[in-house]
Order: sequence, then structure tokens, then C-alpha cells
Amino acid sequence: MKKVVPPLIPFILITLALEWMVRGGFVPSYLVPAPSAVLRALFDSRDELAAAMAKTSSAALIGFALSTLIGVAIAVLLSSSRGIQRAFYPYAVFFQTVPIIAIAPLLVIWFGYGMKTVIASAFIVSIFPVIANTLTGLLSTDPALRDLFRLYGASPAVTLVKLRFPAALPQILTGLRVASGLAVIGAIVGEFIGGQGLGSVVDIARTQQRVDKVFAAVLLASVLGLALFGLINLISAVTLRRWHASEQGS
Amino acid sequence: MMNRRTFLSASAALLTACAKPAKIRLALNWKPDPQFGGFYAAPYDKHGLDVEILPGGAGTPTVQMIGAGSAEFGIVSADELVVARARGNDVVALFAVFQNCPQGIMAHASRHLDSIGDVLKEGTLAIQRGLPYARILEKKYGFDHVKVVPSPGGDISAFLRDEKFAQQCFVMSEPLQARHAGVDVKVFPVADIGYNPYTTVLATSGAQLKSNPDRAKSMTAAVREGWRAYLDDPKPTNSHMHDLNPSMDAAAFAEVAEAQKPYIQTGELGAMTAERWTTLIGQLAELGDIPQAMPSQDCFRNL
Amino acid sequence: MVIDGLDLSIDAGEFLAVLGPSGCGKSTLLRMIARLSVTNTGRIVTDPEHFQTAFVFQDAHLLPWRTVLDNAALPLELMGIERDERHARARAMLTQVGLADAESRYPAQLSGGMRMRVSLARALVTEPRLLLMDEPFAALDEITRFHLEVQLRDLWQRRGMTVIFVTHSISEAAFLANRAVVLARRGGRIRLDRHIELPPQRTNDLRSDPRLGYEMKLLMGAMEEE
Repeated sequence: MKKVVPPLIPFILITLALEWMVRGGFVPSYLVPAPSAVLRALFDSRDELAAAMAKTSSAALIGFALSTLIGVAIAVLLSSSRGIQRAFYPYAVFFQTVPIIAIAPLLVIWFGYGMKTVIASAFIVSIFPVIANTLTGLLSTDPALRDLFRLYGASPAVTLVKLRFPAALPQILTGLRVASGLAVIGAIVGEFIGGQGLGSVVDIARTQQRVDKVFAAVLLASVLGLALFGLINLISAVTLRRWHASEQGS
Repeated sequence: MMNRRTFLSASAALLTACAKPAKIRLALNWKPDPQFGGFYAAPYDKHGLDVEILPGGAGTPTVQMIGAGSAEFGIVSADELVVARARGNDVVALFAVFQNCPQGIMAHASRHLDSIGDVLKEGTLAIQRGLPYARILEKKYGFDHVKVVPSPGGDISAFLRDEKFAQQCFVMSEPLQARHAGVDVKVFPVADIGYNPYTTVLATSGAQLKSNPDRAKSMTAAVREGWRAYLDDPKPTNSHMHDLNPSMDAAAFAEVAEAQKPYIQTGELGAMTAERWTTLIGQLAELGDIPQAMPSQDCFRNL
Repeated sequence: MVIDGLDLSIDAGEFLAVLGPSGCGKSTLLRMIARLSVTNTGRIVTDPEHFQTAFVFQDAHLLPWRTVLDNAALPLELMGIERDERHARARAMLTQVGLADAESRYPAQLSGGMRMRVSLARALVTEPRLLLMDEPFAALDEITRFHLEVQLRDLWQRRGMTVIFVTHSISEAAFLANRAVVLARRGGRIRLDRHIELPPQRTNDLRSDPRLGYEMKLLMGAMEEE
């Protein structure tokens, strides 16, 4: 209760204020829809929106899973040697800076119109925070502990699995938190170009000047982002509960 | 003999005559290209107007910009204007550049298709599915046998790569590009299925019309002169637009300017009829894009 | 060059305290003995050549995601000893340092002193012949220090291992060691190499014994001479 109520209060207040402003004619309804209109659109188009949300969710989840696995793997590789890091890390930064809108048409050329392009888009947009945070975590291992492992003859592989990786876990989870929201954004952008899911609903509704439907789809996308974020928080709480300061004292 | 009152009104008249021309923003719904030629050629100063043309791109919301007041004038299509009015956005049309809608579907000529319905029998079709014409097509022929994907917006690379790929186009634009790239195309105008809204329409808000009726009149006059000048000699304006939009080369500008003439020069430049608007309103009501018909006189003015 | 001209010979079973001002190279010396750092010139020679060494740092440096038991058992785990055996040995060691009840707790739930005791248990779990300690009690409060010093001395006596104990604290050096060397400020030359003349049984009562004060005075003199 303590966690759910505080964020709800501003949400309810803003919703009521917006409803009043649109009903009273202070804000034109063709620019900003009244919350009641958004709810109406949610209900009227529920089948279409549900199907679209299912598509966007799977694309975002798969893209996110891929960026987690591959991102962590790349970070492990980069952390293994200074030379490799210097040579390849700038290319990882490329994923951060590339404007996905510009790349999306290229994705269509490579992956065609459909799920694969959307997943690729979600992956590209979300992988960099995973790499950057995992790398930082892996490089920040306590030197005394590394000495300890060396002293007892532990191989680099053992040190990675038993020391560096668990020690990096809080930082990795931070990266995943950021990446989860980005995966949803990447999926939606991919859908503008690739044509399916919530992104397609937004694009088509916009062309039809159905702002209420646009907002309904955007709302669902936010819910998806929140759900993914919440999932990471849950994983973080369970794995870090007993030993990391960030999950204690609550 | 000049008395005090005449002196005051004379000074007032003098003052307004010396005042700076009204600053006006005209929002385009695409990058500068021949479809806007007349707007760039228009002699705004002569009509006491200081016009700033705001180029647009994919998805520029000109109809909303007019409603929100971020532009005094904008370029819209007739169908989106009707829908906007149905949503409570008081937008009014003043001057229609394309008397006939130049929108169409282009397909590879090698497919030997006969009618627009044939395009929907197989392969891929790239259109903006939210547009009314797309839904008329769907209603009439169904999309069961064709894969519908989003329109790539002027980019024909997918079209060139795949013979079974058809896409939405402006009749005088993408097909020319395709021919230059060595692909012969057949174009099916949307007008063939009886859907023919005015396109590239100059519009303003009802509020602007009420508060500044003379300004709207001057604007329309200037634009009309601009289009006459552009149709006579597009070269100087094309050169200016090419500087603003280098993605299209000078030769293409010339070619498109020529190819678009038949769609513009039918009857009086820019004028609109109530009958055309009524037809359009009926079609949109039938589609369900607007809840009910509206009086066509509300949608336009011939100034 | 951190250490230059150090010539030191240590016998098996000694409890050697190494004193000296900051930067004199005492920690570096310890790391070289542990083979964690490499000598440029000069050698570390041991007889026998290979044997079990353990290291205790100034902070306990436990793995926070593991229980006390798994932390204590870590060296055995890294050496490939299977679970039941290493848990048994770790348990025994934890009992020796008085932490038998804490084995399923996590480091975050322990006090500083308790964590250091786990670190000690971890160091001793492999039954090392040589125990290297780098100011291990420096971060603890005095009472805890006193207790741990007694405990350490006791463990040393029962196991017969060699201990090299680096410290800043003169009283700690005198209390714990049977031999103390004081290193010079720069380069690590030996200013004093003294056999501590105190009884082998060292309890907290010794703290107020004048003999301890005497040893401390000698050590202090060597430290202050620069």
C-alpha cells in the first residue's frame, strides 16, 4: 500500500484536471483528448489494442532478452583485456548514438516487414546500457578480492563466475532497468516502419486524426514499459535482497 | 478646409499604411518540391504580406498546427480537412492546387496488371493504411491476398528490389524516379475508384478568417498569382526550392513540374465547388471517418 | 623503487611483526612474499619452495552475496574440495573463532569485528604454513582489537604456523609478536630487529605489565629516529 498510493495521487489529480480542461473547452479536444475519451477508445478498440499489445510485448521482450544476453557477453569479452576494450568499445558506443529512425528502413531491407525488424529495432536501441553498465560492474571488482582469488590459484574463468560477475550484479541490473524501457521504445519505432503492433496503431490512428486512440495506444505502451521495469525491480529485490545496500532498509 | 476629425483620421490612415506587413507562417506538409511551386513563387510583398514558409516532412501535422495557431496558413488535403472539422478543428480551405488528386498506386509494369484491384491480388502493398482511400480500397477489394505494409514515404528502394512490391505514390513523382532507375511502372490513380479529393490545399482557421478577412483574401490572391507565374516558368522557383531541398536534383524538379500540370490546370486556378466537397463528405461519412455529414459550404471559401 | 637493500631472514613458526612509517614498503613486502607482486631485483627464497599461504587484509573483504559459511569455505572451494568436506572444515574454523552460530548469516548482518573473524577463519581454513596479515585490525575499535589479538595469538600457538604481521601499532606489535623489525622510512632498510622479551602466554593482563611498556619504548625509539 505504501508503495502504490503515493504515485497514484498525482496521476489521479492530473487526470481530473485534464478532463476538466478539455470538457470546459480550455484545451481543444483534437489536440489533447479528454481522459474519458481515451478510456472510451481503449474500450471500443479493445480487441485490436489487445492484439497489438501482444505483438509489441513479445517483440520488446525478445529484443530485451537478446540485448541482455548479447550485451552481457560483449561486456565480459571487453572486460577481459585492455587492448580488446580499447579496440572495440567505441563500436559499442555506436549503438548509443545511432538514430534508430534513420536505421529502421535499413532494418526492413535486411529483415523484411514484420516481427524480425521490430525485434532488431528493440535490440539495437536497448543494448548499449547493458554493455556499458555490465562493463563498469565487471571492471570495478575489489582488487583485494581479485588478489585473494589469485592467491588460491583461481583461473580467470573461475574468477569471472564466482567473483566478478556476482559483484557486478547490482550494476548489471541498473543497466537492465534502463534497457527495459528502451526496448519498448525501440519496438514501437520499429513498428512505425515495419507495420504491426502498437506502433502501427499509433501511426494509423494519427493519420485518421484519432488522438484518443493514439493516446490509448501510447498509454498501453507505457504500461508495457512499466511492467518490464517492475520485472527487473522484482528480480533485483530477490537476488540482491540479502546483501546489497540498495535493496535493504525498505 | 481640414478640421480636427479629418486630420485625425487622415493621420490614422497614414499610420496604418506605413505599418509593417503582417507576419504570416505558411506550413507545408512535405519538403519543398514542385507541388508547392506556386507558394514559393507568390509575390507576397506586393499584397502587403510577410510570409515565412515552413517546410515540412513525413507526418507534419499541418491541420493541427492551423488549429493550434502555430501557423496562420497551412497546406492540407481536402479529406483531412473534413475529418479535422468533424473533430472540432475549424479549418477552412481557400485554394486547391491539385484539382484532381494525384495520389495513386504504382506497380511494376512487368506484372501486366489491368486495374487497381489486380494490385491487391498478391505480393506486397505499401500504403498509409489510415488514409481514407486505403480504406475504400480495403472495403471494395479486401486485403486478404496482399501483404499490407507501411508506406516508405518517397523511398522507392524496396519497390525497385521486389517485383511484387507495389506502393502508394504521387503520380508525377515516384513513378518518374522508378523510370529513371530503369524500372518501367504502371500507375493506377486513386481517382479510378471514384475517390478524388482536392489535394495540396491552402487552408486557414475559421478564427483567422473572422479576425482578418482581408489578409486571407490577399493571401489567396498572392498564391493565385504565384501559381500562374510558376506554371508559366518554373525555372527560377525550382532553383530556389532545389537549394532548400537538395535531395531532389534540378532535372527532377523540371520533370515533375511539367508532369504535374494536367492535375492543376483544369478550370479556374485554385477554385473549388460545393459539389466536390459534398461528394467527399458523403464518402467519408460512409467510411465512418466522420460521424455524420456536414454542410460543404463550411469547408471552403472561394476568395 | 619501493624496497631497496632489505635483507631479512625468517624462521618457521615465528610471529614476526613488521613496523614502519607509511610508505616504507611493508605492504609491498607482504605482497611480494605472497607472490602477488614481482621483485625486480632480489629474490624471495623459501624452504620448501611451495606451501600453503594465506592473506588477511585490512578490511575483511568478504563476498557479500555468500553466507558466512560459504565465505569461510571459499579457499577450499577454489582448490576444488567438494561441498560437504569444505563446509565441515569451515564450520570447525568458525567455531575456533567463536562464530559457530553465525554460519547462515550474511556479511551485511555482521559487525566489523565479526567480519574480521570470518576473514580470519577463511585464512586459516586451508591450514596454511604461512599467514600474512596486513594491518588486519586497524579498522576496529580497541576492545574488539584486544580480543582478536588474544585470539590470534592463541590460534598461532596451537597451529605452529609462521605469521608475518604488518602493523602501524607499536602496542599491537609488542603484544603479538615474538620478533619485531622496524623498517626505515625510505627503501625498507631495517632500523631495528628485536626479539620481544615477553612470556609466551599473552593475555589481556599483559597490557598493564611494565615489560610490555619497555618493549614498546624500544620500538618507538627505532620508529622515531628519523
